[in-house]
Amino acid sequence: MLEIKNLHASVDGREILKGLDLTLPAGEVHAIMGPNGSGKSTLAYVLAGKEGYEVTEGSITWKGEDLLAMDPSERAAAGVFLAFQYPLEIPGVATMTFLRSAVNAVRKARGEEELSTPDFLRVVKEKAKELKIDVEMLRRPLNVGFSGGEKKRNEILQMALLEPGLCVLDETDSGLDIDALRIVADGVNKLRSKERSMLVITHYQRLLNYIVPDRVHVLSAGRVARSGGPELALELEKSGYAEYGGEATAA
Amino acid sequence: MDLPVQQFRTKAEQEFLDLYTRAEKALPGANNPFVAALRDKAIKTYGSLGLPHRRIEAWKYTDLRARLDEVHPLIAALGAAVGESELEAALGKPIADFPGYRLVLVEGELRVDLSDMAGLRDAGAEVASLAHILEMPPDWLKATLGQVNPREDDAVLALNTALMTGGVALRLPEGVTLEKPIHLIHLDGTGAPATMVTRNVVVAEEGASATLLESYGSLGLRGLQRNAVTEVKVGDKAAIHHIKFQREAADTLHLGIWLANLGADARYNAFQLSTGANLVRNQLYVRFDGEGSAMDASGAFLLRGKQHCDTTLIVEHRVPACESRELFKAVLDDEARGIFQGKIIVSPGAQKTDGKQMAQALLLSETAEFDSKPELEIFADDVVCGHGATSGQIDEDLLFYLESRGLPEPQARALLIQAFVGEAFEQVEDEALREAFSVAAAQWLGVPAE
Repeated sequence: MLEIKNLHASVDGREILKGLDLTLPAGEVHAIMGPNGSGKSTLAYVLAGKEGYEVTEGSITWKGEDLLAMDPSERAAAGVFLAFQYPLEIPGVATMTFLRSAVNAVRKARGEEELSTPDFLRVVKEKAKELKIDVEMLRRPLNVGFSGGEKKRNEILQMALLEPGLCVLDETDSGLDIDALRIVADGVNKLRSKERSMLVITHYQRLLNYIVPDRVHVLSAGRVARSGGPELALELEKSGYAEYGGEATAA
Repeated sequence: MDLPVQQFRTKAEQEFLDLYTRAEKALPGANNPFVAALRDKAIKTYGSLGLPHRRIEAWKYTDLRARLDEVHPLIAALGAAVGESELEAALGKPIADFPGYRLVLVEGELRVDLSDMAGLRDAGAEVASLAHILEMPPDWLKATLGQVNPREDDAVLALNTALMTGGVALRLPEGVTLEKPIHLIHLDGTGAPATMVTRNVVVAEEGASATLLESYGSLGLRGLQRNAVTEVKVGDKAAIHHIKFQREAADTLHLGIWLANLGADARYNAFQLSTGANLVRNQLYVRFDGEGSAMDASGAFLLRGKQHCDTTLIVEHRVPACESRELFKAVLDDEARGIFQGKIIVSPGAQKTDGKQMAQALLLSETAEFDSKPELEIFADDVVCGHGATSGQIDEDLLFYLESRGLPEPQARALLIQAFVGEAFEQVEDEALREAFSVAAAQWLGVPAE
């Protein structure tokens, strides 16, 4: 279970999160919606531990442990996974090499045996196939020359391989056409389980047609302004974020 | 000796002259008029030039005259013991084990007992110890030695010609293709501080091709002053892949020069990886003499402490329709200093020239320094030439991306550094060598190889 209490966080001295409370029980999928600038991405980065995102007050506990005391790689080992809105390109690092380094680093930190090369390849091929990722693509440098959809699918592949307990999806739908969105959403849905919690951050309701959340929270000015069931997302689709400090036009 | 008058010589400058005077009669080929004349002319050239210093534009960042306090005596060949374990200690396992025709230079001499001369001869090459062949140089050597790409303005080259004690003379006759690379190993010795001057001459005749790996390592001699020159004549339709790996002891002065010229439709790929020595100057002079040829000169240096590595490159397009590419990568930690100077000269009439160069540095500390100086001298009007240089630190966003995937920070950092130099390694055609270089980079970083 993820518990966020009275979270205040600043970037470059400017307070973005201003007393955010959120409880995400094991096995549930919660959506975080809200207008631009409400703090959605900041929350994602704070959870993953990005430098420069300074927590000034409040706490985050994950499975009873203080998440804020961990560095980013320790959080990954503890099961936190952030699917980036804009996955980064790293020329010179073959995707496959990167995936194996990541999987084995996490396994090592969790006290598990490293995967042998054949075992690793077998797992990658299997998961890649589910996400319709061509294995040839994985021989290329990480995300270099990948289309927007390929990058997002690659994020979900990493998520599947690292077997996290908490998945944070930051605007995973951005830049995806409807077919790519469906593949990504299918990939995410396959990973839903009783042990795994997910935080789906999105500006638009569209993604939530495919990944149906248990709860929806609306962020406004750095706090949760309203929470409800999946129907809240549909309501926002009609009314827009005007009453939450966003633009009046419907998303 | 009849030397031109110079107002002032530093101690080291004078000591080189003294070194020559003392050694002259005992140097290989001393009794051969051709060789004696060559040496005599060279020491005079050196005498009039003196050691290069910072007011000479090409040596702006590497003031050799100021940095060289004294000149050690020429190394004496004592027959140092060299076995597999010494090779591995000197070069690291992947390079020591690199499969190829081994030629081993120890204490400035070619050690035939450690070299696969027979293998090379069976494969169709002509190979000899330079010291030996200088006693009675054949015509092909006379036409090559000092002639490949003469540089009258280079004092380090002049010193090499005057003082060369040994090396390899290699000729690949027309059409000979070596299936295995040649691994030319340069080691020092084990004794007192010394000067070592070696010279290799390689001639690839029409249509011949080979990969030549030159590796440089240390057996334990303190304070080596090395001057190593290789001349490569790449004939029409010939192809030479020329690779250098240098990881000498931390107190080494390494002065290296490669001179190359290319005939028509020829190919020359040069690559240099430096991780060792204290003060390094690598000079690479390439000249196109025949149309339709291409060359690639790339490399990487990984430096820390107070290491100083200067790569200076001059590419001369004398004829039309040739292509040159350069990509150099520097990883600099602590107070290390990396320098890249690349000059492309396009002669009048060398139309359709295509020349590009790029130098990139990754600075791992606030006190590391990278200097890049591209120079284009273009006297033709229908050419494509370009250059670029970047210098920066590790990208924190990339670092976070890797860390968020579970890689602890030091490992993430190492992976990004490996990726950075890995782009340069891509220029090495031989896959086994590329992998050996990746391992060498990992060793330098202190991380397990992938």
